Amino acid sequence: WKKEEFRDCNQTPFCKRARTRAPHSIPSLSVSSLSLSDGAVSARLLPSQLLQSPTDSTPASPRALTLRLSVYTPGALRLEIDEDYSDPDAPSHRRFRVPDVLLPDVDDRHKLYLPRISSASPGVTSFYLPYGFEAVVQHEPFQIEVRRASNKEPILSFNSHGLFDFEQLRTNKSDGEDWEERFRSHTDTRPRGPQSISFDVSFHGADFVYGIPEHASTSLSLRPTRGPDVDFSEPYRLFNLDVFEYLHDSPFGLYGSIPFMLSHGTKSSSGFFWLNAAEMQIDVLAPGWDDPANPSPNRIDTLWMAEAGVVDAFFFVGPETKDVVGQYLSLTGTPAMPQHFAVGYHQCRWNYRDEEDVDSVDAGFDSHDIPYDVLWLDIEHTDGKRYFTWDKTLFPDPVGMQKRLAAKGRHMVTIVDPHVKRDDSFFLHKEATEKGYYVKDASGRDFDGWCWPGSSSYPDMLNPEIREWWSEKFLFENYKGSTPSLYIWNDMNEPSVFNGPEVTMPRDAVHYGDVEHREVHNAYGYYFHMASSIGVVKRGEGKDRPFVLSRAFFAGTQRYGAIWTGDNSADWDHLRASVPMILTLGLTGMTFSGADVGGFFGNPEPELLVRWYQLGAFYPFFRGHAHLDTKRREPWLFGEKNTALIREAVHVRYSLLPYFYTLFREASTSGLPIMRPLWLEFPQDKETFNNGEAFMVGPALLVQGIYQAGEKSVSVYLPGTESWYYLRNGVTYAGGRSHKMEVFEDGIPTFQKAGTIIPRKDRFRRSSTQMVNDPYTLGRTNLSKKKFSSECLIERVILLGLSANAKKAVIEPGNHEVDIELGPLSLRAGSSPVALTIRKPNVHVADDWTISIL
Amino acid sequence: SIPLRDSLGISPQDESYYKAGVIKCKDGSKKFSRDQLNDEFCDCPDGTDEPGTSACPEGKFYCQNSGHAPLVVFSSRVNDGICDCCDGSDEYDGKVNCSNTCWEAGKVARDKLKKKIATYQDGLIIRNKEVEKAKLAIAKDEEELSKLTNEEKSLRELVAKLKEQKERIEKAENEEKLKKELEEKRLKEEAEKQAAKEKESIEASLQVESKDANEKVPEASTEVGENGKKTEVQHESASYDEHNEVLSRESPAQKFAKMTRNEDEETKPGNEDKLEHAQMPEQVSDDSSANAADAIHSEGQEHGSASTGGLSKEELGRLVASRWTGEKSAEKDVSPKDESQKVHTDDVAEPAEEEENYDSYNSDTEDDRYKYKDHEDEHKYDDEYDGDSDEEYSSDHADTADAADSYKSDDEYKSDHSEDTSTHGGLSWIDKIQQTVQHVLQSFNFFKTPVDLSDASRIKKEYDDLNSKLSKIQSRIHQLKEKNKHDFGNDKQFYSFYDQCFEYKENKYVYKVCPFKKATQNEGHSSTQLGRWDKFEDSYRTMVFANGDHCWNGPDRSLKVRLRCGLKNEVADVDEPSRCEYVAVLSTPAMCVEEKLKELKQKLADMNSSQQASHDEL
Repeated sequence: WKKEEFRDCNQTPFCKRARTRAPHSIPSLSVSSLSLSDGAVSARLLPSQLLQSPTDSTPASPRALTLRLSVYTPGALRLEIDEDYSDPDAPSHRRFRVPDVLLPDVDDRHKLYLPRISSASPGVTSFYLPYGFEAVVQHEPFQIEVRRASNKEPILSFNSHGLFDFEQLRTNKSDGEDWEERFRSHTDTRPRGPQSISFDVSFHGADFVYGIPEHASTSLSLRPTRGPDVDFSEPYRLFNLDVFEYLHDSPFGLYGSIPFMLSHGTKSSSGFFWLNAAEMQIDVLAPGWDDPANPSPNRIDTLWMAEAGVVDAFFFVGPETKDVVGQYLSLTGTPAMPQHFAVGYHQCRWNYRDEEDVDSVDAGFDSHDIPYDVLWLDIEHTDGKRYFTWDKTLFPDPVGMQKRLAAKGRHMVTIVDPHVKRDDSFFLHKEATEKGYYVKDASGRDFDGWCWPGSSSYPDMLNPEIREWWSEKFLFENYKGSTPSLYIWNDMNEPSVFNGPEVTMPRDAVHYGDVEHREVHNAYGYYFHMASSIGVVKRGEGKDRPFVLSRAFFAGTQRYGAIWTGDNSADWDHLRASVPMILTLGLTGMTFSGADVGGFFGNPEPELLVRWYQLGAFYPFFRGHAHLDTKRREPWLFGEKNTALIREAVHVRYSLLPYFYTLFREASTSGLPIMRPLWLEFPQDKETFNNGEAFMVGPALLVQGIYQAGEKSVSVYLPGTESWYYLRNGVTYAGGRSHKMEVFEDGIPTFQKAGTIIPRKDRFRRSSTQMVNDPYTLGRTNLSKKKFSSECLIERVILLGLSANAKKAVIEPGNHEVDIELGPLSLRAGSSPVALTIRKPNVHVADDWTISIL
Repeated sequence: SIPLRDSLGISPQDESYYKAGVIKCKDGSKKFSRDQLNDEFCDCPDGTDEPGTSACPEGKFYCQNSGHAPLVVFSSRVNDGICDCCDGSDEYDGKVNCSNTCWEAGKVARDKLKKKIATYQDGLIIRNKEVEKAKLAIAKDEEELSKLTNEEKSLRELVAKLKEQKERIEKAENEEKLKKELEEKRLKEEAEKQAAKEKESIEASLQVESKDANEKVPEASTEVGENGKKTEVQHESASYDEHNEVLSRESPAQKFAKMTRNEDEETKPGNEDKLEHAQMPEQVSDDSSANAADAIHSEGQEHGSASTGGLSKEELGRLVASRWTGEKSAEKDVSPKDESQKVHTDDVAEPAEEEENYDSYNSDTEDDRYKYKDHEDEHKYDDEYDGDSDEEYSSDHADTADAADSYKSDDEYKSDHSEDTSTHGGLSWIDKIQQTVQHVLQSFNFFKTPVDLSDASRIKKEYDDLNSKLSKIQSRIHQLKEKNKHDFGNDKQFYSFYDQCFEYKENKYVYKVCPFKKATQNEGHSSTQLGRWDKFEDSYRTMVFANGDHCWNGPDRSLKVRLRCGLKNEVADVDEPSRCEYVAVLSTPAMCVEEKLKELKQKLADMNSSQQASHDEL
């Protein structure tokens, strides 16, 4: 972490300006010409005094802004504020609106036609929102509120502190004004002058706010960044950066940005999403920030600041958090359904050096009977960091290598980064240069930055034509040495530019459509990921689900693949921070995510590595990875005992694959995360609101991580009112309280909620591929609503929470009697028989059947 | 054909175990009936009831593999669609068709095994010879050591006597000289005084130059202070000093110690470092809340990045890339100053304590070597006895390094030694020397003044000669003792490795492995130390070289050499599975042991009988 290499808010003029502004200190805006047209509300915004005395405007005087409000199912209010381009004084350049993030058919599918608006009192316009909410526009001063229609209780408000500011585009500098910005050795020319936007949003009835990834934090909720009792803190920064050795607890921006915040309280949950890809800084204001004498509880104020773009924002009404997540995903899309293999364990390292190394790692998993599904190759596999090529000495026969893996049902992933080596003999560079497909620098030449291959250029992924071109590079005939079992990893797509300002691209670089990099920065990696993902689909003629892992991300990335939390470190704090980070990603739609197991930098102690596997087995994306300089850490290198512990951890994951896969399916339809904060399942249990140590996997499984060396016991809070079954021994624990649990080295505490079924496959194979025909085991605790589609038989039903005198069960149809006997909870040597087990019901998973216990 | 459920996956030794009507799980956890054997439901968590199916995760499946060797596979391999047993018996559910390849595979395996056995047989003969030789050589070493010890004792006494006489002579001479000098001195007094004065002032300034950087800082800042910024700079340098103190106290970790030293070294040369001193404390105080370890971390980085302002775009790119890769190229390209920094890093890579030992050992032998060379004509000691990390020595021997050679050289030493020193008149050389000394001492008259110059010089010469002889003997004793300290294996089978180095060429590198000494990776004229001899590991199956040159952003280099049976001593492969952790394979007859040979023969016999059986079946 190199603090001085990155800008803080004070070194970022738009942030400094907005952050130091007092509430209501700038001229307020008034709404005029409000009307209902085409099922939406439109109006003009002008400074109040200007409205009252319309004089002939001086060049510096503000032009009117356009305001548009529209309503979406299943419960969102959309607010758009932009320049009025019909104004003769408006510059010809249009401010950037982020394309291809909202679903292409979002208006057709979700936009509601507003039949009427009402004005209960003068200067106030209100209209209907779904679920019994309404939107209220106050004309003077301009302010918007979303409230419950029945009791007028506010849920969300916009500009209630009068902090809305919109710096309009200009073509001429005023006297003595300097538009250039300098940071370290870099100069940003800012040809259009300052164009930032800032405003305040209040979440009423909220105990906590969450979201706006990506930040490293040990806290699940967003800690306040300003106000009484807040130590000096930067605002939360959203600016995709490649940060070397990032801190485990910091509001600083990391690799991806999702400008979506959720609030939760016992009374209501709501959300706010600002579709803007420019640098964003967000303050969470502690109660009393505006008036220390009168702190207002039950409300969380936030200040949003962006360097450029427009206001295109969505207010989500909830009322439950699950609704808020669904409302957000109805606009940006639900997560893609991954292939089954991608849910298994991934083995990565920078770098598996050659084919021999690959074969020997692969053989190591077999000889230690540890399943894994995917072996990864980092940048060194290429010919001089030219992606889509192979180092001919180290990988003379990539096809043969992939086939050897595929013969065991395993897959391979290779890395493809966005920086293209500027080498005239490299086909990709040649083509991109000839076609003019690179991002341009401020002077109009192909931008030339430094990355792994040395001097590099970056395809302009904002352009759909260039994405199309890029996606074709993944066709088997274009990517020589690739086979159908090969999938893709996109790294460095923030984009990382080693010699650029803050290790990224200069903000005045120019994209397709005369868009400045500053306007599109946070979405560059998203478009790149999209193009790669579409490439893999295209390669498989649309019959094959893609798997593409990305490091950078934006709202919508969930439609294209998985992400991981980047270059973490092998220490306990990073293990701890991984949980709030992944939970936050899940809440903001990015369900398929994980942290590098073991920690990327540094060498984990065996105990840390084991604990990381035990926790990582519950990450949606489960991959071990390590830096080039670290010691080898394949699971069998730490002595027999640790090998057995890691094998057990990986087995837990493989046994739960049916459950995980079911949850992925659920995520792809409802958008509900796989790894969930406790409060998502127990929204009324206040104890859980800031619990970032334990989490739910789906609705049934609670997992408590162990985050310290030599931990002997841990306090686990079990939420809700129902009971929980400890999966180590089947013992029942009461909900709604903390339990002190002994900690064992062979696993972390896991509990199954009463009234749930967890489907498992307890037969272990080399990889998930061979498990396809294996029978299921159902871990069931009372009720059932789960549905599966499969030809598979049930071999065992484990019953927790039943009296021990049940001996027989009858299966219908067929009136077939089966034994009930005591069996172990898991099939491991030494496990004692503690649970009632229905032996071989042999019913089809997909059929309708009942089991009656006699 | 689907095999019988009752025998599926059961090894012949276990057949009787499964004969009973009610069978116990092997772990004693419960019992199961015969119908529960291989019924695709796991009853025993240890897998006893499902040897032939995949139902128990911990089960093992036995394949007979007639024609080849039996194999036990994890139950996870049963009916998983992949043929694991060469007889195909692990895939019986009809989903895949595994052809029986045991006959062919068995033949290949048997041929391979036969070759291996032949190697072991021949290797064993060589090994036995080597072991015999080693025993003799060790006995000779011991004999030599005891002889040398005796000689050393006598010689030491003589030298002491001579020294005493020499000192008396010198004292007498000095007194005479002093008288003369006093005379002259008085005459030159005035001039001398003047000269001495000048000399003193020069010395004083030299001393200041060589002072440690820590001491220098306050002085430097005072100088700056005279230019008008006194208070501020003093304050800063104070915090810098304090910071350094904190570091040395609070971060004993080698890494940080290194960095501190690095800084010291960096700041020493040149005069422009005043400027650096003035800058660095500022940065430190900025971070004053961070703990010392963090502070130095960021300071080191700060230091690097502070210079990024002056870098070209490309240099900046390389610099940032090098954080992840640790490639030195980036630093090299930046400036010569960084290059020197790299050398510093390498220098401090060795733990201080060990370095001292090593150095002192080294310098001992190095001094000795010089002495040998000085007197080479006289004594004909061979460089080889020096037996230490001398490049010349190693390269001379690398190619011919062969046990016989080094033994021969030992013998050479003997014969040269005796020829030179003990062939006269049936007396041992030491006796003869004793006589000579006696003679010299007797013939010298102490009370004669002025001192007889020729007698005096005889005594001095005799003293010098004997003294150098003594130190040679002492150094040889030291060598023999050092050698004896090593563990040459249970049968002393690795004795001959002591005087050998093994080379391996791969692409641009030449790897050189010198057991009991060190291992290096050489590229052209530059040499990187992969490790110094540490120990044998894994019951003499691996040689470990540790604490080699430091890797930037990584561990100290190390090498593990895996030994395997072969007819010649040669390195077969060198690899770097983890960064800066090397692995080599060395084949040597020393590994061709009898027990293993027996084991292999038994295995072949088993295979043959299994082949016979399958042949009979056919």
